[in-house]
Amino acid sequence: MENSSQESHLRSENSVTYESPYQLYAMALSSASASRHQRIALGSFIEDFNNRVDIVSFDPETLSIKTHPSLSFDHPYPPTKLMFQPTSLRKSSDLLASSGDFLRLWEVRDSSVEPLTVLNNSKSSEFCAPLTSFDWNEIEPKRLGTSSIDTTCTIWDIERGVVETQLIAHDKEVYDICWGEARVFASVSADGSVRIFDLRDKEHSTIIYESPQPDTPLLRLAWNKQDLRYMATVLMDSNKVVILDIRSPTMPVAELERHKAGVNAIAWAPQSCRHICSVGDDTQALIWELPPVAGPNGIDPMSMYSAGSEINQLQWSAAQPDWIAIAFSNKMQLLKV
Amino acid sequence: MDEGSPSNGGQELGNTWWRPRELSFRPYTLQNEAQSLRVVVRKSELWNRLSTSAFAHYAVSKYFGGLRRWSGLVARLTKDIVETYQICNPQFKFSEDLNPKRYLTTPSVGVLNDGYDNANSDLILSVNYALVNLETHRRYIVKDVLGHGTFGQVARCLDVETNSFVAVKIIKNQPAYYQQALVEVSILTTLNRKYDPEDKHHIVRIYDYFVHQRHLCICFELLDTNLGADILQLFRYELIKINQFRGLSLSIVQLFSKQILRGLALLKDAGIIHCDLKPENILLCTSVKPAEIKIIDFGSACMEDRTVYSYIQSRYYRSPEVLLGYQYSTAIDMWSFGCIVAELFLGLPLFPGASEFDLLRRMIQILGYGSVFCVVKRQPPDYVLKEAKNTSKFFKCVGIVHNMENDEVAMDGRSTYQPLTEIDYEAREMKKPLIAKEYFNQKTLEAIVTNYPYKKNLTKEDIFRESQIRLALVDFLKGLVEFDPAKRWSPFQASKHPFVTGEPFTCPYIPPLETPRVPVAQNIKVDHHPGAGHWFAAGLSPNVPGRNRFSLHNSPHFPVVPYAHGNSYGSVGSYGSYNDGTGLGSSYGSYGDSGGTFAYFSPMGPSGMNMHPQSGVSVLGSSPDARKRIIQYSHGNGLGLSPSAGMFVPLPLGTSPSQFTPPSSYGQVSAGSPGHYGPPSPARNSCHGSSFGKVAAVSHYNRRKSWGYSGNPQSQECSSSQQWQGQFIDNTSTVQAEGQATSQLNVGSPSHLQSNPSAASWKQRGSSGITANSSAMQNMPSSSTRSSNIQVPHSAEAAHDKSEASQSLPDPGDWDPNYSELTKAQRPLPRLWVLVALATICALTITKATGSCGLRRTAGGGEAERRPENASRRSLQVFQNFLACCWPRTNGLLRFLVILAMCLLNSKCDGFSHSCFSDEQLLQEDGSDESCITTEFSKGLHLGLAESSIGVGRVNRISSTSSNLPNQRQNGPIQAFSHVEVGSPPSAHDPQAGFTRFMSKPSHLMPHNSQNSPSRLGQPPAQRFNYMRPTAPQGSEWNQNKFQPPSSFNSGGPRSPGSSSFNNGMPWGRRANNPISNIPPASRGRKDYGRIV
Repeated sequence: MENSSQESHLRSENSVTYESPYQLYAMALSSASASRHQRIALGSFIEDFNNRVDIVSFDPETLSIKTHPSLSFDHPYPPTKLMFQPTSLRKSSDLLASSGDFLRLWEVRDSSVEPLTVLNNSKSSEFCAPLTSFDWNEIEPKRLGTSSIDTTCTIWDIERGVVETQLIAHDKEVYDICWGEARVFASVSADGSVRIFDLRDKEHSTIIYESPQPDTPLLRLAWNKQDLRYMATVLMDSNKVVILDIRSPTMPVAELERHKAGVNAIAWAPQSCRHICSVGDDTQALIWELPPVAGPNGIDPMSMYSAGSEINQLQWSAAQPDWIAIAFSNKMQLLKV
Repeated sequence: MDEGSPSNGGQELGNTWWRPRELSFRPYTLQNEAQSLRVVVRKSELWNRLSTSAFAHYAVSKYFGGLRRWSGLVARLTKDIVETYQICNPQFKFSEDLNPKRYLTTPSVGVLNDGYDNANSDLILSVNYALVNLETHRRYIVKDVLGHGTFGQVARCLDVETNSFVAVKIIKNQPAYYQQALVEVSILTTLNRKYDPEDKHHIVRIYDYFVHQRHLCICFELLDTNLGADILQLFRYELIKINQFRGLSLSIVQLFSKQILRGLALLKDAGIIHCDLKPENILLCTSVKPAEIKIIDFGSACMEDRTVYSYIQSRYYRSPEVLLGYQYSTAIDMWSFGCIVAELFLGLPLFPGASEFDLLRRMIQILGYGSVFCVVKRQPPDYVLKEAKNTSKFFKCVGIVHNMENDEVAMDGRSTYQPLTEIDYEAREMKKPLIAKEYFNQKTLEAIVTNYPYKKNLTKEDIFRESQIRLALVDFLKGLVEFDPAKRWSPFQASKHPFVTGEPFTCPYIPPLETPRVPVAQNIKVDHHPGAGHWFAAGLSPNVPGRNRFSLHNSPHFPVVPYAHGNSYGSVGSYGSYNDGTGLGSSYGSYGDSGGTFAYFSPMGPSGMNMHPQSGVSVLGSSPDARKRIIQYSHGNGLGLSPSAGMFVPLPLGTSPSQFTPPSSYGQVSAGSPGHYGPPSPARNSCHGSSFGKVAAVSHYNRRKSWGYSGNPQSQECSSSQQWQGQFIDNTSTVQAEGQATSQLNVGSPSHLQSNPSAASWKQRGSSGITANSSAMQNMPSSSTRSSNIQVPHSAEAAHDKSEASQSLPDPGDWDPNYSELTKAQRPLPRLWVLVALATICALTITKATGSCGLRRTAGGGEAERRPENASRRSLQVFQNFLACCWPRTNGLLRFLVILAMCLLNSKCDGFSHSCFSDEQLLQEDGSDESCITTEFSKGLHLGLAESSIGVGRVNRISSTSSNLPNQRQNGPIQAFSHVEVGSPPSAHDPQAGFTRFMSKPSHLMPHNSQNSPSRLGQPPAQRFNYMRPTAPQGSEWNQNKFQPPSSFNSGGPRSPGSSSFNNGMPWGRRANNPISNIPPASRGRKDYGRIV
């Protein structure tokens, strides 16, 4: 379908662009992979039941992106998130998860992608509660948590393919979930709150932030893996990135307000506890360095990048921390920072 | 946590050293506006794309049809994922109903009501459960449970229609709770819509109510935290953590007090008792700046005339009358309010009684008057103890009941009842009473507050300033946490306290201000009592009738009046009776109004003023504006305004002690007020009377009293008016006049009389209401005036005491002293003054003189006060009469002297004075219209006095009867009184001797006045009276109505006298007004005066 592949990307010294035949949304970068080529999974956003997931590989040495038509597969509905297993246990293949109507696991081999399982916790065959996001636990690679609009978060044991637990996490739809520790995760919801859960005490959660306007949904959440005291969240239709310190609930430690339009995605630097990148509808990608103390006029980003259109997705490569991947329109771009 | 996860990149690049390079990124610079344009472009692109899609229509309508902007992909795969997936696949279905439920109700097992209810009959709630009003299809989505109680649960819900949160009370599915909740709905709906449409009185708003799955659901505005939980916790937190011993700052206490009082004033107007006022039921609304509080939870509330339950109020905030099983009124909320204010300041409950016994013990201890040398213990007044159902649980009777009645109250404040000791209690109950530990080292309220630790690091100036405010707080609390429900301040009275207003606090001033008004109101109520006597018998309901009577009266008098009533009633609705009550309440205002009314309802007030002058009609007009209250006011005005004015005056005098005193100890209070007034005018007496009446059914009575007040006020007004006149001259501004008036009145009425007896009356008429108002106002503000008033009261009290001692003598004497004082203080008047001085001296000599007032107050001996008041009233009346007579004509002086002598010699002087007056009046009436008017005024004054006195007498009787309680005997007498009003029965009244005598006197006077209305006024005055009536429909109406109900009342005309006097006064004023037209009551009055003079 798209064998055009390698010709389709534009290349410069510090950035590589991949152009897809369809609008892109979901995107995943493989962790340290078996090969030196980093795999990138790209999910389409097509207003149709049939969507596509393409796997491409990126070689930072040659700054080239290689397409693998054999690694493309159909996906029902646009995937809301794609993610490679953080710590690959296999030599020859990567495990890829996708969320949409259900959680699906795919095994990405060198020349093919095999669907492994469809994880469905719904008791109804007629109705479906779509998953808005999920996160793979880095410390416990068998543990994966999903967030759903049915107000729950479900923790899966993917090795056994069973639900470890399901929590009614919020009063409204849950939009994003993020692991902090092996048994601690946080989630954001349409109820406007950021809550932290500990699987050892499922009766309680801790609300560490609530959006100032009641029930303004929080769409995205990113936990700073370098310094777990901090996490960042994004309000719907807001140009702000809210930086939270879980030690001081309710009051954000910083609000990054230099985007000109709504923020769509955020990613902490995998190699630094003080840097975070954000992208938004203003076509900007901004990299921020959090100062020890915020000045009176707010915080200015360190650097910026302008894409051709609204940036919908952002990933910061853990395997190659110099590279940031953004998706806008039908393009995926790798940027060297 | 920090070490929680190993950092991948950190190892490679170093956490602290990595910095983004400027490779693909460039340094950040301020961006231009180009980007925003792109967004627009993109939207249009989306639009185009959508429009080609099969689901374009859906999507367009969904996303572009509304005001919502098209969101990016992130939102489409989160917020709008269902729609997105439905676009992808029309067969996609999602149902919120299948979401796992998080139950908010425990137990969450459906047992009852088809599985909807748990074993406790509570609706089983879960997050996102929808409560639906089936009629309006309005949906409330349950988000959280805020609390639960015996009634059911309170949930925080999202109102889908407005996208705002509300608090929904979900009542248990049981008939009893359902019914009680319906009461709450009706009460709150009435309060919100009829009384507080603009949401300015700090009452929680009710938004909606409906039945869902057989559960009554009531939607309220969602508030924040309650004072009990948060503020106090914050306070305690601060206490511990920050500055040791740091309470809520006084300024915050003041702010909250003011706001709560606004709410309580509304409740009082509406005749609604909250019944469960406590910090937990006062919520903070932080969404508004500055912070506001609101009163919530009317689940225990009732209307004043339907006090069904005896076990109400949370223990710490339970009032003595509820604890004792005595009939209760809105005054119980004021008690709770006092407890709350103290708690806000102290951070601990004032009366943390572990049991009712402990509670009462603490009250008696803390409210005692403490000094190093002697601690005067205070306790609920005997008239309460005598009637209360539970008295025997806490007190033992050590006196003879008969004595009580005869003596009303021991002069020295000794009570017939002694509180049980712990040993007594243990012996009786066969168990030890629960006693909690003491939190405060200090024993008395004053000591607790003044010795409460100061914040650290305060400068001397700050400490001094705060100490002054604390003194104000102590004084404030004393008026609220007052054993005698009749003396306890009304919300209006309390709201004028310097602690609330922030005015500099000088002890003398404060009490007078508030007290006066209250007494007046009470008096009014008393009047009602007469009519209300029935009430007493009936209990609360009686009150209603009384009100009805009022209304009736009103109607009879003037169409206008009816309107006013109508207003009050109408607004009240079912509360009609309440309205009356309200009216009364308003009447308070009006009373006060007269002094206070204005102050309160400035809008109303004015109208009221006009009304007065105008007479009932004007009142009516005003009433519309003013509302029911106005109406009442108008009544009050017409009838009682002047009285009220008078009342005010008295109030100032006696105010400080107990505004309510009259009510509580009708005898006492009234006496007190009378004392104040007493000297000044019968009004006080009437007040007393009213107060008595009040005693029986305090609340209702009070309201009614207000009516009575009018009567009193009249008398007072008369006196006041006199003063006013003088003052007028002096003070153009009525207000000032008021202040002065009050003072003058006290002493003044005499002085006025001297200066311009009739004029005084005119003033009253003309601006009597105003003067009254002003007086009230002034009283409030001007301490000096008050002080003077106070003095007068004291003297009056002394007089009363004396009078009590020797009924006949005291009255004049009382008056005289006051007068003399006033005169001295204010003006040296010519002959009159001399006369007054003489009279006062005589009175003083005759009477014990002095101190009694103070004693009364301090002692809080209602009974004692009553007597004095009566005496004072009598004396006042006499004086007034004399003055009135004298002024117009020198002969009057002679008469006055004669009267004084008579008074001194005999308690029955009243009769003489009456006769004299009547003669004078007749003569005057015979004279030119103006002269007539003047005479009328004087009469009015006299009448007013007489009436007031009569009213008082009646009141007393009535109150006694109606009040039932205290004076059942009196009741008998009362009837007689009513008849007596005419004057005959005084003797019968004798039991209350002073009162009766007064009554009789009044009756005599009344005769004149009442005569006006009734026999004496007979026809001669009749015309004028008629005028009066017509003009002062209220008064007349009142009289009629009130009287009508009780036949005796008719005779009670006396009251009516009071009212009639009012009427008279009113009429005068009215006449003046009528003739003159609205405005110039004062001016005309003056003119008239001039003429008269």
